[in-house]
Amino acid sequence: MPNAELLTPGGLQELTAALQRATPSSRLLAGGTDLIRSMHQDLWEPDLLIDLSGVRELDYVRLEDGTLRVGALTTFAELQADALVRRHARCLAEAAAQVGSAQIRNVATLGGNIANASPCADTVTALVALGAHVRTIGGGGQSVVRPLEQIFVGSGRTVLAPDEAITEVSFAALGADQRTTFAKIGSRSTVTVARLSMALAVKYDKDAGTLSEARVALGAVGESAFRDARLEELLEGRPADEESARLFAAACTDAVRRAIPGRYSLPYKQHAVVGLAYDAWNALGLCERCEPAWG
Amino acid sequence: MRLSLNVNGMEHELDVRPTARLIDVLRLQLGLTGVKEGCSEGECGACTVIVDDKAVDSCLVLAAQVRGKKVLTVEGLAGDDGLDLLQRMFIEHGAVQCGFCTPGMLMSAKALLIADPHPSEEAIRLALAGNLCRCTGYTTIVAAVRAASDQAAEPSSPPVGEASAV
Repeated sequence: MPNAELLTPGGLQELTAALQRATPSSRLLAGGTDLIRSMHQDLWEPDLLIDLSGVRELDYVRLEDGTLRVGALTTFAELQADALVRRHARCLAEAAAQVGSAQIRNVATLGGNIANASPCADTVTALVALGAHVRTIGGGGQSVVRPLEQIFVGSGRTVLAPDEAITEVSFAALGADQRTTFAKIGSRSTVTVARLSMALAVKYDKDAGTLSEARVALGAVGESAFRDARLEELLEGRPADEESARLFAAACTDAVRRAIPGRYSLPYKQHAVVGLAYDAWNALGLCERCEPAWG
Repeated sequence: MRLSLNVNGMEHELDVRPTARLIDVLRLQLGLTGVKEGCSEGECGACTVIVDDKAVDSCLVLAAQVRGKKVLTVEGLAGDDGLDLLQRMFIEHGAVQCGFCTPGMLMSAKALLIADPHPSEEAIRLALAGNLCRCTGYTTIVAAVRAASDQAAEPSSPPVGEASAV
């Protein structure tokens, strides 16, 4: 374990002052569940650690004019239990509930999940489907807002400057006519890293029985979670029936093939995504339970 | 760096390395070796302690991050009147074999019962999902937590008739 210096700002003003001292070898620490593990394993050696966990004003969930605003320090345990998140962004609550163990969810934060830039980050898949934006603050006190997808440049790599801290994630709150869910597959049912994840958000016209404005995000397929336009177009205007589920699942296989051609995990993931697609479809609760016809 | 820590109800003023994990300070500086280090990466839960009523892997947080918070380890579970009800139920149900996972199991279970005194079976299993046991197969552990929850539901003092019979 290295002997880095540690700064523990107690508020936003102290945070910007601390950020001014950050170098490319410095690290920002929120919950720390990933950084501390890798630091302990001597995977990297920072010159300076800035602990964000004392900046309590970054721990909030607010609904403002139809926009849900989530402070970067909000933990997964808080997200999964939050009434606003459950009502207006259910896929995010479901994703948060499936991260790690209770011990990890009590500490790990939404901002950390983004900054960590893991390809299998559960909440990132949900946030991509929600069309989230990310606000940051820099050492000069300047605030920048970017679409979430623009944060990532690859597995574990972001565009964020060394002196840039994520402060807020925001997205349009979903209405009562929109359904959303998150599903994932890992090596065990809980406390598992996603081998595949999916978030779905779709408008459902009850009277017509049809879907529109679908947003489909896939995670742990390639370097960062992404939306797939062909999947979304396929669902546009479709009835909520078994045939739609089948076409959607088949199209998910095509989407995985497009995303990771030739990857060693493709033979597994192109099939596994069918089960995942049905899990997500059924969780939307739009029609009678559908089952894939394996074989 | 100087650090004020409240552990098991006692205030400590410590000189710690800035990057010391909570588990390092608890075990090496305070001698609380009931906190076990298994995997060092948040899979096994052997290092679980309670911070401000919430279960936390002490190998995944810095000691400095719990400044100003209340830390409870397995050493602080027993009160002046003996073992905690959970500990007694673990013994009664044979939920302890090699014992290495037991402190972490107890602390995860304790945090659950603080938040939800009467959890469902599913809630118990979910709360313990981050604690691995390679001996018992979990059934007796879940039964012990269930029993502690059931017993806590009973009146704290026995009915007069029973008490006079003792």
